[in-house]
Amino acid sequence: MKQLQKGRGWLLFALLLAFAIFISACSSDDGNTDPDSTSDGAEKPSDSTSDGTDGGISGDLEIQYFVGGYGDSWWKEVIADFKEANPNVNIIEHAGPNINEEMRSRWVSNNPPDVVYIDGAGSSETQMVEDGQLMNLTDWVKEIELDGGDKLIDSFIVAPASYDGDIYSLPLVFDTWGTWYDRALFNEKGYEVPTDFDSFMSSMEKIKEEEGIDPLVTSGQHPYYFMRGMLYPAFAAAGGEELLGDLISGAEGAWSSDIVLETMKKVEKIQKAGLFDSGLGALNHTQSQMNFLLHKNAFVPVGFWLPNEMANDIPEGFDFGFIPSPMQDAGEPFAIVPDLRPLAIAENAKNPEAAKAFVAFAFTREYAMSFSEHTGAIMNINGVDLTENEKVPSYLTEANAMINDPEQVQIYEKPYPMSADLETPLGNALMSLMLGNMTAEKFVEEAEKAAAEYRSGL
Amino acid sequence: MVQSKKQKYLFLAFCLVPTFILFAIFTLYPLFSGLYYSFFDWSGSSSNKTFIGFGNYIKLFHDAIIPNTIIHDYFLVVTKVIGIMVLAMFFAVALTQLKIKEAPFYRVVFFFPNIMSVVVIGILWTFIYNPSIGLVNSGLEFIGLESLAKPWLGDETWALPSLVLPSVWAGIGLFMLMLIGGISNIDKSYYEAAEIDGATQWQQFWRVTVPLLWPQIKIAILYIVITTLNGSFVIVQVMTGGGPNNATHVMGSYLYQQAFVQFNFGYGATIGVMILVLSLLTVLILQFFMRREKVDY
Repeated sequence: MKQLQKGRGWLLFALLLAFAIFISACSSDDGNTDPDSTSDGAEKPSDSTSDGTDGGISGDLEIQYFVGGYGDSWWKEVIADFKEANPNVNIIEHAGPNINEEMRSRWVSNNPPDVVYIDGAGSSETQMVEDGQLMNLTDWVKEIELDGGDKLIDSFIVAPASYDGDIYSLPLVFDTWGTWYDRALFNEKGYEVPTDFDSFMSSMEKIKEEEGIDPLVTSGQHPYYFMRGMLYPAFAAAGGEELLGDLISGAEGAWSSDIVLETMKKVEKIQKAGLFDSGLGALNHTQSQMNFLLHKNAFVPVGFWLPNEMANDIPEGFDFGFIPSPMQDAGEPFAIVPDLRPLAIAENAKNPEAAKAFVAFAFTREYAMSFSEHTGAIMNINGVDLTENEKVPSYLTEANAMINDPEQVQIYEKPYPMSADLETPLGNALMSLMLGNMTAEKFVEEAEKAAAEYRSGL
Repeated sequence: MVQSKKQKYLFLAFCLVPTFILFAIFTLYPLFSGLYYSFFDWSGSSSNKTFIGFGNYIKLFHDAIIPNTIIHDYFLVVTKVIGIMVLAMFFAVALTQLKIKEAPFYRVVFFFPNIMSVVVIGILWTFIYNPSIGLVNSGLEFIGLESLAKPWLGDETWALPSLVLPSVWAGIGLFMLMLIGGISNIDKSYYEAAEIDGATQWQQFWRVTVPLLWPQIKIAILYIVITTLNGSFVIVQVMTGGGPNNATHVMGSYLYQQAFVQFNFGYGATIGVMILVLSLLTVLILQFFMRREKVDY
């Protein structure tokens, strides 16, 4: 009996030991942060001004950037230049198409990189601000000057998103959704490039008849492509920034307003006329863009990144044409709702001085020019003349000229990106409408319900 | 030599402790941490968490999409069990009883989908279902049934049934091999005796093969049910992403969407708890219904 008890005691001891190992394995997160936090002490915050040309900063600087449609060549250039200007700073890059997922555990364990470019799937600026992960830049941003002596804060094309008056991120990329077509095809066959909703409809009907294709395609798996690309401009054109802001924040009555219903009637009209690709419900964004390139469709709503993203699959002779989405009534100017991709500094950055220096370093007119060369999109800095630069694609210079002409195009700013909690149910209802399984009236009802649910969850 | 008690327990501990540690780290810890997070309002991407008690569970019961995801899951369970079991049984019996010369070749062919990743299968079938270049629609056109052609995965009614075919196709091989193993263990003399007694092939199948094969059938069904409830996520995510308009969301894909797309990790964990509870209940109920006396002739 004694033997048995002794044996049991031993087993118990073994189990306890196992548990102890298990517990220590679980808490290893804290252990991991230790070596990093020592670098905190090693790095000496300098009193350098934040223009970044001063070599007074040192230590490790971690930069997280998403690599998507714009590629990474611009980043490589800026980072290499920054290294040269600040030889004591050791830059650690965290980059790639899945970087937001890969870095998530770092953010969760309060061990974030210093600088983050917020873009791509799995990232949400709104969420990061709500979670208190980003540094408040309100006062600091006022100090930054561009090379010509202009204040950065006055030189943005679109001002930074404001969260109750505070700035947590600086919009780096000025992108905008619009509608693409193949200029070569349109010129050859004499199709009309739409200027408003009516001409959009007549152009699509003609194309349907003559080409035998469904003219309009978008990604059914990601309904927000159509929402941001077509509906935001439509709402803005009809109801201005106030309505757009109310719709994005899910304000009561916004989604059931007459303007929204009228706009959704337009979508219903496109659906009823059979102008949507009949298979779009299953398409992801690459498939929809591929269909567009293969002339299975004539129009696709996407942002400026489309040509760069599809660079390897562009058929010979294809000539990208870009117009702001033509959803407005005849006689009205086009509407554009910019989509901004910001650069931010982590609240818990371990090397905030170097992080600030890098952010200030990246915002120059020179880099804005090279950004357009590298990516075919626009950096959010005004006073950059793209017309003389041959390396900038023609659709971009044209779009840029159009955007700068208020007679043709009105720019409407949204307060902040829509939360995924509202965008998802809206997108689902929208998809049902586009597939012909829901009326515009029913959509408006569903959308108002989704907004109410979103408000109650805030 | 007689082993002392101490040696015996030492040996037992030697066998059990490492397994227990691994089990604790990789099964118990995630299980309980999932349960723990289901009581928090947490985005899953920061260290800020707010304890909200049963808030997520209340939300779960009011979420109009949840009942649909459960229905979709059990639709896949039922169709997959029927589809896979009928076909796997048919092929197993055919390959063992009908004395086909090319049997080993077919065994390999039918097993082929099992060595492919589900992601690959999903992408492959996305092309097969593609409305303009896909095999299904062009096949229908070829035999003059173009009126039946439709954008399968992009149709709110047909998207979910369209997922059944690839799932069944991917599942047959493994269970066919399992059943073949069972059938080849059945003594040939039973069939000879049955034949002398004048039993038809059909009677032999129902009276000899099925009862003696029951343990394998039971395991196969349980396995299909469990893997479907836990794993149909992959095929949904790859082929439709849960759309159009939630028409194909299963519990797993909805969990993913909530936790990683809509940044409601706490709510996602709650859906995870629901999947666990439903899977356990389903397996218990199935165990009860499939209980049979072990047959021995």
